[in-house]
Amino acid sequence: MAQRDGTDELVARARDGDGEAWALLVERHSPLLWSIARSHGLNDADSGDVVQTTWLRLVERIDGLRDPAATGCWLATTARNESLRLVRRRGRDLPLVPAPRRPEPGPDRVVAARERLGRVGAALDALPRRCRTLLRLFALAPSHAELAAALGIPVGSVAPTRARCLDALRRLVP
Amino acid sequence: MNDDELMSGVRDAFEILDPVPADVLAAARASIAWRTPSAALAELTRDRTGRAAAGVRGAAGRTLTFACPGSTVEIEVAEHGRHREITGRLVPSSAADVQVRHRDLPPGGITARAEPAGLFCVPGVPQGLVSLVFRLEDGSSIVTSWIRL
Repeated sequence: MAQRDGTDELVARARDGDGEAWALLVERHSPLLWSIARSHGLNDADSGDVVQTTWLRLVERIDGLRDPAATGCWLATTARNESLRLVRRRGRDLPLVPAPRRPEPGPDRVVAARERLGRVGAALDALPRRCRTLLRLFALAPSHAELAAALGIPVGSVAPTRARCLDALRRLVP
Repeated sequence: MNDDELMSGVRDAFEILDPVPADVLAAARASIAWRTPSAALAELTRDRTGRAAAGVRGAAGRTLTFACPGSTVEIEVAEHGRHREITGRLVPSSAADVQVRHRDLPPGGITARAEPAGLFCVPGVPQGLVSLVFRLEDGSSIVTSWIRL
């Protein structure tokens, strides 16, 4: 994905006190972090926690970062670790109840959303959950390296998995 | 549709179905204010939950250890409903101002004093993400990694 300012440059500027650079970092990377939490089956509150904790971890390390260019991968890895930590704790503290989700939208909103979702959105709905989750991460991760970090798999196995899921989606899009 | 169009369709669909909530983004933007460039970062090295002794009411205690080069912070956390009581010590022992930082507390957080033996106690900490800052007599400071209590 072509980016106007590189993540490394934004990190350097944020470190120098540039609030706009920090806000841009947050806006650019939060959707991937949120979807990493979601891919672990976490609910709204826990996913919010993962995103918040991940950014706080970057804040506590930002002054000592050796390789600002690796920040994207580092964020994805951290979000994955924080998600796994929460999943483990939930498994220990609570019986396995389905995570509460936000209330279902009313029928009129569903229709409106479906219209806006378009052909791809409708096709996504028909895919198995795992494939849908993977496609979401594929769509949001700026590179294979971030994706590998998000999934905890070797970079080399990203491309074939991505191709398989894309094929499945393509078959479903009219 | 080519791959890029499919991927952009996926991004758009999830942006409609499950966007990052505005309050989560706002908290992330605000988190840069917690930066403490001059403090040494003490990272979590141990997190143990012990069982409450038989007959003792209340949840099991939790013991956490944070370490940075030259110093260690050990804390014990007791649960009282939605609040936590933190007792701990600084090693090597030193008097210090202790500050508990938490998103739901005013910027100054809750403060306490570590006595010369390094012992401190901070009651009434809301549950949630917490970080402790220690300002030592010699002018140096230590900040612990954020942890959910």
